[in-house]
Amino acid sequence: MKNVDMQMHVRGTSQFVDDLAAPAGCLHAALVTSRVARGRIRSLDLAEVLAAPGVVAVYTHRDVPGLNEVGHVLRDQPLLAVDQVEYIGQPLALVVAESHQAAWQAAALGRADIEELPAVLDPREALAQGMIHGQKRILVSGDPDAAFQTCRHVVQGRLASGPQEHFYFETQRALAVPTEHDTIKVHASTQSPGAFHRHLAEVLGLPMHKVELDIRRLGGAFGGKESTAVWVVAPALAAFLLKRPVKLVLPRNHDIATSGKRHPYEYDYRIGLDEEGQILAYEVDLYQHAGACADISLAVLGRSFLHASGAYRIPNIRVRAVSCRTNIPPNNAFRGFGVPQGTFAIEAAVTHAAEVLGVPAAQLKRKNLAGDGDVLPFGMVLENTNSGRCWETLDARVDLAARHAAVAEYNRTHTDSKRGLAVVPVCFGISFAQTALNQAGALVNIFVDGSVEVSTGAVEMGQGVNTKIQLVAARTLGIAPDRVRVHTTNTSRVPNASPTSASTGADLNGMATKYACEDLLTRLRRFAGQHLGHDDPEQITIREGVVHLAGKPTELRWEKLVAAAQWARVDLSSHAFYATPNLHLDPKTERGRPFAYYSCGTSLTEVWLDCVRGTYRLESVEVVHDVGRSLSEVIDRGQVAGGVMQGIGWSTVEQLRYAPDGRVLTGANAYKIPDLKSLAPHFAVTLLENSQNPNAVCNSKAVGEPPLIHGLGAWFAILDALRSVRRDKDLPSLPLTPEKVFMYLHG
Amino acid sequence: MAHHKISVTVNGSVESVDVPSNMTLLTMLREKLGLTGTKNGCTAGECGACTVFLNGEPVNSCLVLAVECDGAEVRTVESLARNGQLDPIQQSVIDHNAVQCGFCTPGVLISARALLDRNPDPTEEEIRDALVGNLCRCTGYIRILDAVKDAARVGAAPGTGGSR
Ligand code: FES
Ligand code: FES
Repeated sequence: MKNVDMQMHVRGTSQFVDDLAAPAGCLHAALVTSRVARGRIRSLDLAEVLAAPGVVAVYTHRDVPGLNEVGHVLRDQPLLAVDQVEYIGQPLALVVAESHQAAWQAAALGRADIEELPAVLDPREALAQGMIHGQKRILVSGDPDAAFQTCRHVVQGRLASGPQEHFYFETQRALAVPTEHDTIKVHASTQSPGAFHRHLAEVLGLPMHKVELDIRRLGGAFGGKESTAVWVVAPALAAFLLKRPVKLVLPRNHDIATSGKRHPYEYDYRIGLDEEGQILAYEVDLYQHAGACADISLAVLGRSFLHASGAYRIPNIRVRAVSCRTNIPPNNAFRGFGVPQGTFAIEAAVTHAAEVLGVPAAQLKRKNLAGDGDVLPFGMVLENTNSGRCWETLDARVDLAARHAAVAEYNRTHTDSKRGLAVVPVCFGISFAQTALNQAGALVNIFVDGSVEVSTGAVEMGQGVNTKIQLVAARTLGIAPDRVRVHTTNTSRVPNASPTSASTGADLNGMATKYACEDLLTRLRRFAGQHLGHDDPEQITIREGVVHLAGKPTELRWEKLVAAAQWARVDLSSHAFYATPNLHLDPKTERGRPFAYYSCGTSLTEVWLDCVRGTYRLESVEVVHDVGRSLSEVIDRGQVAGGVMQGIGWSTVEQLRYAPDGRVLTGANAYKIPDLKSLAPHFAVTLLENSQNPNAVCNSKAVGEPPLIHGLGAWFAILDALRSVRRDKDLPSLPLTPEKVFMYLHG
Repeated sequence: MAHHKISVTVNGSVESVDVPSNMTLLTMLREKLGLTGTKNGCTAGECGACTVFLNGEPVNSCLVLAVECDGAEVRTVESLARNGQLDPIQQSVIDHNAVQCGFCTPGVLISARALLDRNPDPTEEEIRDALVGNLCRCTGYIRILDAVKDAARVGAAPGTGGSR
């Protein structure tokens, strides 16, 4: 089934936060932010801001009625700075004005007298100075030291991967409307109903039942609207203090300059193999460039850490991971949540090893590919992965050996241009690694006319979760999908909801919806039995909106059944709850089963490289991915294609620069995301056939994040072409922009 | 800030609007006329979400001042469907599921409509050229490309974009 919002989207009638009709008297908020990366605040001078045309009020931390704190995991992020600043772009004061433009123009007039301290912008330097978030993590499995002694080949190196800007099309925004009894209603673009609800209440000093957060849809999020609550809480604070509606819409360049990114990482790796190319040992240090506040960085780091072995079977391993506190805006979640970085390191290590062994990287990868029965470094046994089947399916589609031969032949006969290819297997754990977050509630109401309304904690951001939930409800109740409507995500209908992230939106909320519908169905079947003079509800089913008795259709239609049941005083509303079973991870031993299952796939990426100019073209991308028994093939294929393209962007053209003082230099005009010309002439997505998954709703598998990893294939394919030209250099960093490619070739 | 009274034909109806000198066409459409179908993705001429027809040509409305539109004809995504009937490009975008979050969609539709108006049978290269300024962060483009190809193949029907 298609995305239910599509009709409105093409007519321009779907509403995002900024499309809601502005309530009478609506004001606009903006932020005065720090121009210094690190220092002590001596004083703020906001006189000019206050005197600017259209300005209604200016607030500092002193005006916060509740807690001046929006730290997502640790309490280390003030809403408005108190006595120190930790990054350029940190909010110092909140400006409220008659128009959006007036507010931002006035905010630019804010001045702060700050005693500057030396900013730390390099993660290794931060570590050397003891500037870290949380604790270092170490995971050891087997005996890596002993194993390295026995290895025939040991290869080591250093690597780095850069930041990635989310570039969700709809920037951060919220509209807050004061309501009676000192309550407030906030319409926001956020993935985290439960957490943001709590942040709002804490900052306003209100009990949570006085705050209502409503989320209709997001113009993209990709993790960037999961944890940083500043832009939702700030307008609510203004609205609460002024008792007037206030909207904040973050201008694009402010969004780029002050919001979190995918974390840059640095890596030291060492890999050991035997004669046959079997990986015996792997050691990796992950240095996460986290920025000034912990935000959600430790959770991201945890995922990189747990995915350090990538898609491979590695008997002896040591992983060390640390989150480095630097003076840049706090980085946060981005689709993949640390897995792309963890995977990048092991993929590079294996590729580097293949080069030393003189064999194609794909050969080593296939040989060491983890599959069912293999044990991950933290003790979880892989089941139902289909990893080998994904690889064979890809091979059958493309003939890997022939592709390798064709590239080799091209490169033998060409000097001014080269081709390169890469096979990337993906193995991605599904569930929040933080066990507590793996829960969801759903409220299903059936009205007397037979229409059905579902509310969950899932946020629609273009990934199609509402459509999937609608399908689950319709399928479970035995009625047509158009009888079901999925309502906005609202904290008054479904409280304390986990963020829609970690690819779990449909898994968790779909399952809660299914339970609620099953509960209603039980009541309706019992009633239908009585109604039809048949007291065995087991004999009653509902199919295509018609009550069936012993498998045969009756005269009783859904609408009549529902109306009669209501009249007979049957409750037609149900709330249900789902918590993913059997998840655990012991933080002391780093052992457990943090994921419900794994999502796997394999892809082939081919590129053509102009060795004179350093430019390249993606020629072909072939992806095979396992989505279980898909709830909606059209949606899942779209998720795969979009995810892969974001991964390609991260690997190739998306580059963000910081000035030596810690300022983000790249604006909307310089930050390049892939465009229509980046799309490879051949781009094919195959969903693995005959796949089942007992661990998620209706046998499906999560699809939001894992496919992004295939985008790494672009980096490795370009690398493959580059290494056919010269190998006397270290591996370049990610992304491989054309400039970097040129410098690699000619520098 | 000086204000100007301008007269502009938007989606077929003549509007008389009072605009400050620095107001963009995009802001005028969204805030003065309540036409929120046209989206603001960057205010910098980079993303294409704000694309509308100005005198028959697709433009980034975030880069055009409202005062420049005095006497002009503007068409937005809201005008593509006629009497509730979708334009073939809208239908094709639905048929190909070329929408995820939907924020880029209005701009994509206008650029595609403009292409098909001037070139009913574009090559793939021509489609890529015409839509290269319409970024999309969600779909990965393949379906957008297929939707435009297909709309062209089924015969792009009467153009609704230009003033011709
Ligand atoms: S909003 Fe005009 S091009 Fe992005
Ligand atoms: S569908 Fe979200 S930006 Fe294109």
